Amino acid sequence: MTPMRRKGLGPLILIAPAAVLLGVFLVLPYLNIVVMSFRMPGQGTPYGPGYTIGNYTKFFADSFYLLQVANTLWIGLVTTAICLVVGFPVAWQLARGAMRFRALAYGLVLSPLLVGIVIRSYGWTILLGNAGLINRMLTGMGLIDRPLPLMYNALGIVIALVHVFLPFMILPIMAAIQGVDPSLESAARSLGASRFTAFRRIVLPLCTPGIQAGCILVFVLSLSAYVTPSLIGGLRVKTMAVTVVDALIDTFQWPWGSALALMLSATGALCVVIFARLTRMKWKVARP
Amino acid sequence: MKRPVLTLYCLLVYAFLLAPILVVVGASFNAGNFLTFPPQGLSLRWYVTFFHNDVFMRAIRTSLWVAAVATVISGTIGTMAALYYVQHAGRWKEAVRIAMLAPLLLPEVLTAIALLFFVYAIGIGTTTMIGMVAGHVLITLPFVFINVSASLESFDPSWDMAARSLGADRLTRFRRIMLPLIKPGVIGGALFAFIISFDTFTISFMLKGIGTSTLPIQLFDYLRTNFTPEAAAVSTVSIALTLVVVIVSEKVLGLRIHRF
Repeated sequence: MTPMRRKGLGPLILIAPAAVLLGVFLVLPYLNIVVMSFRMPGQGTPYGPGYTIGNYTKFFADSFYLLQVANTLWIGLVTTAICLVVGFPVAWQLARGAMRFRALAYGLVLSPLLVGIVIRSYGWTILLGNAGLINRMLTGMGLIDRPLPLMYNALGIVIALVHVFLPFMILPIMAAIQGVDPSLESAARSLGASRFTAFRRIVLPLCTPGIQAGCILVFVLSLSAYVTPSLIGGLRVKTMAVTVVDALIDTFQWPWGSALALMLSATGALCVVIFARLTRMKWKVARP
Repeated sequence: MKRPVLTLYCLLVYAFLLAPILVVVGASFNAGNFLTFPPQGLSLRWYVTFFHNDVFMRAIRTSLWVAAVATVISGTIGTMAALYYVQHAGRWKEAVRIAMLAPLLLPEVLTAIALLFFVYAIGIGTTTMIGMVAGHVLITLPFVFINVSASLESFDPSWDMAARSLGADRLTRFRRIMLPLIKPGVIGGALFAFIISFDTFTISFMLKGIGTSTLPIQLFDYLRTNFTPEAAAVSTVSIALTLVVVIVSEKVLGLRIHRF
């Protein structure tokens, strides 16, 4: 891969600005936030003198926060599962469908990504609110007497999160399916496999990397989503990211906020590792 | 249509994807004081209100300024890094790739909080725009890197050697061979960087100073307390700005965007 590699420090100039930027504005801040999470809480200041592990023991001792982490993980899990189920057929159609409409369909999947997350969440508040479009239509048709509780609960958050992150599920799966040669399926069919068997034994294992990538992406993004849960969930349903940001913006408890943010990220990372292990195992089992 | 059920299903999903965006655009033409359905007639009054709202106009200017500065910086740094990655990284290739994609892989909330504490730790705080611009450069850098390195994948080193054997010096080879090849990638990456920066929320939310709110922040603050269709007008203008940028660069430059 390196036929043009030259000796000397010359080429290093190319990577130096990026290295400095990432070192100063990514590595140092992350080291700093780890240190911050061990600082003493301050009285009227963001943090006090000295160090403690109290911020972490507080987290594990209080069932309120553990429950909230569980709640956040659950919302992330459901969002990911729905994205997978809803997105897979669309990815399939995009990868194998008629050529004529593919560019248009691809544009339709991409277009929500070009609209800011605040605007998209705002759109959902217009649709899902008690006096929102959906409830107005249903009451107008005489189907319901009272507005359905679609907003200010986990249901509304999941609906909006699925919308926000669906393209991140569809695009990697589409890329994976495009990489599977359709003749492999035909070969399996000609050897007597049913359509379902050919799909399960040939296509699905081959596009597993795309499914894994999509799932991890959607899960991680929905864990750290702030705008959507904040606007749709209101004050009643709070996810971890909302609690963390509010703890920092409203109360200036820096060490506590740092510990919370790190615990949320660590939990997310742990889930991804477990997911990767589990799916890889299944994949091996699925192979003959 | 070969599979009518699948096609119908996909159309429903596309409708789901577009619904909240279309609803916002539709609501912006509502003549009423609140978001009512059916709308109380069509009107542009909320656009007029918006254009006379200094807070929102300042936020748009801030957003465009930050996005432009961040795009230029991350476009330059990201392109250089992509060149290094494809041509010189050697056995460090995978490490360089992971480092360049790190801002994308790390949770944005955590990055934003870490940056906030860091700008205070080094004493610049949020009184200057340094923190916010650095954050925007950070989160847009991966998109430039992905696009430029993707366009370099098709680069065949033998072209460079051929030019060299014909007596072209280093600068000529870069200008005549490398630049035309990476141009679509650089423009696509810069375009994506601009849009990401223009729309990003969490980084700006944590690192905003007094009077330096970007448009998404101002909109979010507004939505917490107000329910007039003015927010819809603001959103529609923001969507239109993005669309103009995309369409102009697609038509004029004819580029392809690699996001994954």
